[in-house]
Amino acid sequence: MADLKLNGVGKTYAGGVSAVADATFEIADAEFIVLVGPSGCGKSTILRMIAGLEEITEGDLQIGGRVVNAVEPGDRDIAMVFQNYALYPHMTVRGNMSYGLRNQGMPKAEIDTRIAEAARFLQLEPYLDRKPRALSGGQRQRVAMGRAIVREPSVFLFDEPLSNLDAKLRTQLRAELKDLHKRLGATFVYVTHDQIEAMSLADRIVIMSSGKIEQIGTPMDLYTNPASTFVAEFIGAPPMNVLQASGQAARELLSLAPDAPADLGFVGVRPEFLKVGDTGVKAHVTLVEPLGAETLVHLALGPDKMIMRGGQDHVFEAGSEITLTLAPSDLRFFDPSGRRISAA
Amino acid sequence: MQKRVVFRHRWLPYLLLAPQIAVTLIFFIWPAYQALETSFFLEDVFGFNRTFVWFENFTALFSDGSYLRSFWTTLIFGLSVTLLSMSTALALAVAANRVLRGKMSYRTFLIWPYAVAPALAGVLWFFMMNPSLGIVAYMLESTFGVDWNHYVNGRQALLMVIVAAAWKQISYNFLFFLAGLQSMPKSLIEAAAIDGASPARRFWTICFPLLSPTTFFLLVVNLVYAFFDTFAIIHATTSGGPADATAILVYKVYSTGFVGQDYGSSAAQSVILMALVIAMTVVQFRFVERKVQY
Amino acid sequence: MVENRPLATVTTHVVLILGIVFLCFPVWVALVASTHPGEALARSPIPLWFGTQAVENYTQLLTAGVPAAGGVPLATMMFNSLIMALGITLGKIAISLLSAFAIVYFRFPLRMLFFWLIFITLMLPVEVRILPTYDVIASLGMLNSYFGLIIPLIASATATFLFRQFFLTIPDELVEAARMDRAGPIRFFWDILLPLSRTNIAALFIILFIYGWNQYLWPLLITTDQDLYTIVMGIQRMVNVGEGIPIWHYTMGTAILAMIPPVLVVLAMQRLFVKGLVESEK
Repeated sequence: MADLKLNGVGKTYAGGVSAVADATFEIADAEFIVLVGPSGCGKSTILRMIAGLEEITEGDLQIGGRVVNAVEPGDRDIAMVFQNYALYPHMTVRGNMSYGLRNQGMPKAEIDTRIAEAARFLQLEPYLDRKPRALSGGQRQRVAMGRAIVREPSVFLFDEPLSNLDAKLRTQLRAELKDLHKRLGATFVYVTHDQIEAMSLADRIVIMSSGKIEQIGTPMDLYTNPASTFVAEFIGAPPMNVLQASGQAARELLSLAPDAPADLGFVGVRPEFLKVGDTGVKAHVTLVEPLGAETLVHLALGPDKMIMRGGQDHVFEAGSEITLTLAPSDLRFFDPSGRRISAA
Repeated sequence: MQKRVVFRHRWLPYLLLAPQIAVTLIFFIWPAYQALETSFFLEDVFGFNRTFVWFENFTALFSDGSYLRSFWTTLIFGLSVTLLSMSTALALAVAANRVLRGKMSYRTFLIWPYAVAPALAGVLWFFMMNPSLGIVAYMLESTFGVDWNHYVNGRQALLMVIVAAAWKQISYNFLFFLAGLQSMPKSLIEAAAIDGASPARRFWTICFPLLSPTTFFLLVVNLVYAFFDTFAIIHATTSGGPADATAILVYKVYSTGFVGQDYGSSAAQSVILMALVIAMTVVQFRFVERKVQY
Repeated sequence: MVENRPLATVTTHVVLILGIVFLCFPVWVALVASTHPGEALARSPIPLWFGTQAVENYTQLLTAGVPAAGGVPLATMMFNSLIMALGITLGKIAISLLSAFAIVYFRFPLRMLFFWLIFITLMLPVEVRILPTYDVIASLGMLNSYFGLIIPLIASATATFLFRQFFLTIPDELVEAARMDRAGPIRFFWDILLPLSRTNIAALFIILFIYGWNQYLWPLLITTDQDLYTIVMGIQRMVNVGEGIPIWHYTMGTAILAMIPPVLVVLAMQRLFVKGLVESEK
């Protein structure tokens, strides 16, 4: 089966521009890995290097124990689903799904079986003889997945496959993808810039920024124990409040946490850990966004700004003053370069 | 613009390019080079000897009254053809863009002359203006008392080839003007109408300026057409006559080389024309690329 | 938009009808002339309505030609025109597709040199380099042959440029998907690029067919053998027969026959033709 090993993988373009540097991690067989980060962080480049669409300029890549740096994309035992689906517009759904198999010289009977199976699996049976332009966005997306499934690869690669769909369809297909992964039992490598997608899909997340890996871990791991201010601010919506340690807000919050480490650069706290209490830190409510189950409350402590997630037990009013409290263990500490300092 | 992904292959791209490059080298580059080389030589009548004469062929041309006249003829011919066919086509395109019903059938009737060969266009008008039996010549004489005879009257001969050349080019200009008008945002015209501009004012202040890229593009294309592609019209009808009145530059290259057998001079004329085409193409590229617009 | 100007509407239609009359009148006169006996066209004014000799005139033209102008049957000339037009069209499309494919989908040494070499030809119409090109054809022994008529005209910067532009609009992901599907360059070209280019090929076909059919100077130079005359160039000999012999009815019949195929192509495939014309010039 297929586990992936990236060993010091890097990509430097001809002009000397480095897109990815020293990426080292392993992906276990049947794992669902999501590469996430802002655009230009190198996540797509890593995926394309795994696919064999970009040359690896440093380090090596193993798929199932075999170094594949110089192996053609068609021979890597992988399949890829593209952001814009990349369906062949002049071929029918059936033609699209069978093209790769025909190129391998697979007997027609077997091709037909596989297509029938995948079509049933993806509920594409009524559309097999249609051209892609006669399908909706969601159906095209399924065809793109079908094209990958029929090849029965050991690794599936997804390049932002849901970003061209509307919000409702995206949520629905997200669930289907997760289900698909469970049923196929194959390795999934998935790229997205959407942290919600990453959180909801991944077994483990690889979060990247400017060509480097910031942190690798399970979604909850990244959420509760971000390795850097970057991760803290990227994961979660609204993100973690990250405050300059020397600022007024941080100093007041730290007064509630007696054993904070020295050499602090930043202090972080998730919006849901801020509570309204009787004693604590005074803050001004500047804006209230009621969302139903919860309310996002924008706060100002002097010049510093924070967001708290309020429950239904308290009515917030813009312009009023509230008293904040929190458990010291909910504070996260970062050094001046933004790296996490574990609690003493 | 470049592709992000390309195929890698050592010799395949060269193989793919080979036919095109071979034809280009053999039938384009090599003859062009030959013309350049020959233009610096003087060949004797029998073609046995040739002498390197520097720019003598060129200086001879520019001191030759008939060649300089040919420049003028070409300029008058080119500008007249361009102006006549473009203004007619613009009027037709504006009209066709206005009609609501029958748009397609009007278009059909207006575009087919594009397919008529220039030589045939020349022959048609040659027949219509034939001094002894041409229908147009007859009408000119009976209605206006014009004594039409392009066999002896150089101006009339030039006018005839101008009309023939413009007639053939109207369809082409019409199509591009119509495409330009149709791609114009409707909201602009509507805004102008709400601002109280009359249809004529709307055209001159909104449509015409917005058409400027098309107009400029057509200007260059029409000049190139008039300078080079009209050879057939002239060759099939007036043969440059009477008395060189319709001998435009391309016709001169042909008559000097094939009829007069003066290879050096013909080659020098070729070189001058090539320089002219290259200059026009560069102008076209620079302006069209930048899209003449505000 | 609400517009209530009856006068403007009338003017519009008058302009269009005048334009159509101006464009159609010469052809009408030619068509009428080709149905009369030669003597009817000897004095002015010539008839403006059909005569009775249509069948005789066209039969004579197609099967025996005009004796005073060499007597080559027009059927032969039209066949030659067709071969030349198709040869030029298919040749141009084939070699342009291949070279555009090479230039867009490969990176190789000297790529830009080749690119410019091809595009320089844009600037050099046959008319400006007649003599040396003739010499090349002569020394290759290609005078009086279909090859001589066709091959030198099949290098086309325009078609290459058009296909290059089109290929550049095809999403990169399609190539990537094809590579995932184990398609090499040839297979990609054949299975994906070619089918996707169908409309462009068809549109270009129309433009190039007209271009090929209407060639004049080139066949004039290359062919001295009457059996290879093309119709557009053949008409010139009839015109030059002179005033003495009354063959205008034949000349006009020839003009009509010569314009029928390209005009039919334009009318039958109007939409593709407009697309081809507008895009090949951009």
